[in-house]
Amino acid sequence: MTPSLLPILILIVPLVAALGLLLTPTRNLTTRTCEGVHIGSIVLIVLLSLGLAASVLAGNHPSSLGGWLYVDALGVIFLLIIGVVGLMTGLYSIGYIRHDLEEGLLDAHRVKIYYGFFSLFLFTMLLSATANNIVMMWVAVEATTLGSAFLVGIYGQKSSLEAAWKYVIICTVGVAFGLYGTVLVFANGAEVLSDPHQAVLWTSLAENAKLLDPSLMKIAFVFVLVGFGTKAGLFPMYAWLPDAHSEAPSPVSGLLSGVLLKCALFVIIRYYALMIRSIGPEFPQTLILVLGTLSVIVAAMLFYVQKDLKRKLAYSSVEHVGFIAVGLGLGGPLGVAAALLHSINHSLAKALLFCGSGNVVMKYGTRDLGKVKGMLRLAPASGVLLMVGALALSGFPPFNVFVSEFMIFTAGIKAGYWILMLVLLGFFTVTIAGFVQIISGSVLGKPEENAKVGDVGKQTLIPLGILAAMVLIMGFAVPTPIARLVSQASAIVLDSGDPIVVKAPWSLFGNEEATVAEKAGNLIVTPAAAAETAQNTETK
Amino acid sequence: MHEFLFINGLSGLLIITALMVILSKKAINSAIYYAAQSFVIVVLFIFLGAQTGSGELYLWSFTAFITKVLLVPFIMYTMFRRLDDGELGSGQVMPAAFSAIGAALIVILCYAVVSGVTLPSAENLKPALAISLAHFFLGLFCIVAQRNILKQVFGYCLMENGSHLTLAILAPNAPELVEIGIATDAVFAVAIMAVLGTRIFGKFNSLDAGKLTTLKG
Repeated sequence: MTPSLLPILILIVPLVAALGLLLTPTRNLTTRTCEGVHIGSIVLIVLLSLGLAASVLAGNHPSSLGGWLYVDALGVIFLLIIGVVGLMTGLYSIGYIRHDLEEGLLDAHRVKIYYGFFSLFLFTMLLSATANNIVMMWVAVEATTLGSAFLVGIYGQKSSLEAAWKYVIICTVGVAFGLYGTVLVFANGAEVLSDPHQAVLWTSLAENAKLLDPSLMKIAFVFVLVGFGTKAGLFPMYAWLPDAHSEAPSPVSGLLSGVLLKCALFVIIRYYALMIRSIGPEFPQTLILVLGTLSVIVAAMLFYVQKDLKRKLAYSSVEHVGFIAVGLGLGGPLGVAAALLHSINHSLAKALLFCGSGNVVMKYGTRDLGKVKGMLRLAPASGVLLMVGALALSGFPPFNVFVSEFMIFTAGIKAGYWILMLVLLGFFTVTIAGFVQIISGSVLGKPEENAKVGDVGKQTLIPLGILAAMVLIMGFAVPTPIARLVSQASAIVLDSGDPIVVKAPWSLFGNEEATVAEKAGNLIVTPAAAAETAQNTETK
Repeated sequence: MHEFLFINGLSGLLIITALMVILSKKAINSAIYYAAQSFVIVVLFIFLGAQTGSGELYLWSFTAFITKVLLVPFIMYTMFRRLDDGELGSGQVMPAAFSAIGAALIVILCYAVVSGVTLPSAENLKPALAISLAHFFLGLFCIVAQRNILKQVFGYCLMENGSHLTLAILAPNAPELVEIGIATDAVFAVAIMAVLGTRIFGKFNSLDAGKLTTLKG
């Protein structure tokens, strides 16, 4: 652990912004001031998360408050997701909320509440990703629900209040299971560690995991998985997700789907790492694999039948979170690295598509796919961006989601789960069919005759353009720092020193570095290389 | 030995107060029963503190008194007093006798689960530990078996009380800040649920969870 102020600073910035906005009377604030504070907060967060990433890449583990806050490669991946997606959805919010203000959907007071809670929500998510204290980790995840509930219900309509209520009740009750699991792990640690203050720290528990009582750890993991799995949107606890994600303002939907689900997954991964160290991989992997597979299957079917664009996207999130869980459940360096990479990729693509759906709402005033037709002719830039997002999430190359999906499938085949992978592949084709419906009807279809031509403003297009560029870049070649972080994080989760090289399949060819790594006997986890390894094993 | 008997007996009282919270016809009465139950927990913390010699538990009993006996019931009482859905009645989906039988079954099941735990700190307090786990599931039962959305808030509070007691039994030396974190979170959760519940009542003019059916599929 390296003492550092960065983990505290990254929390203070959004907290101060949130409290400043929420506690100042609306009459003393103009919309411009709210936007200024909001932009300052999200820009600083992304800079600080980049600073933390640089520090981790330099070999440090920044830590503050006596080890209560701790950032390693695993944590920093999620901090970067929060920082980058937070910045993009935050910038998108400016144009979107101005539009809502003009349309009379929100008033000045609600705008202030929106920006205040946006920062508060970011603060709670950053706290969950930096917490080393397992009780604080739980408090942070619980606080994410409380911080975002008002954002979900901000329009105050019947449907949004209903969504907010279901969200709060199901997630709070679900996360109460997480508390019980946390209490069991902590009690277990307090019993075997000489200092009970150490038993609350994930790092100490991980170091002494072998001493923990196996039967109690198993019960605890079930509670943890049900608890934080509710928040992550895993089957069968996902009932709140389609409602909350579809009723929230579009940038918040992007944040909920792209970032919040990953924060809950992050906590599950922390416990998964503890379990691997204490009771071995079999028990946690089996549970996660079963829940992940069921999530993919159920969500793919429900995704296909939805007529509401945002509900469709919400079910797609359940599916992708399920698929990340499948990667974790398959285990091994390849499975875990693939799951982590898929977390990053899905966050970017889903933020792009949810914000794209915001452009649809602004242009058409509805989310009903039966009425949204011919986006490419009416609003060409929005249409193209929506198409990029849809193609990416369907898993087409050269977009980023393809790379990590391919890696998970390869991990499955390598682990001998042929049939399971074929079944999942079948359900993924159902998803592709669903996305093709969106592209063929809403983007390429024929618009209504009297529909007005004209795109939405630049403020809502530029953040989407940047997100689309990131989706493409991550698809062509995973940037080296990200690849290194993913490989280090995978080693942290598995408690192994296996060096891994993470790259897009096509960037392997003619790449000196990869060849060197291969010669050195390291594991190359590009899909192509992994598939080759699997084939070799079979032949033998 | 007498202390153990007393602690185990007191935790039995928790189940009775929990049933009163669940079965009470009006939400404001539930708030009073909830305060009574929290008081039992505060007393339990003091006895557990005396038994284990843990100074932290005395501090816990103090914070629990402030948050659970005073603050949370106060928030509930003042907010829920204004919300009354005459049509809904008690909101029970099953007769009271069934609820009591359900509670008994939960306790028996939890006792069976807890009997397998081998932690030395829980050796003499297994009945209390079983009841704390049962209390957690009784909270869940309250949420599932109730159509009144305000009662769902109480269900969450019961679940939280259950985990709190488990923590006290299994880890009496937990740092005070851990407990403050959990208690503060509960206060915020209840406050936010109360605000949302009030807004829902304003919009739907009902507290019936069965009427929240705009979103489907």
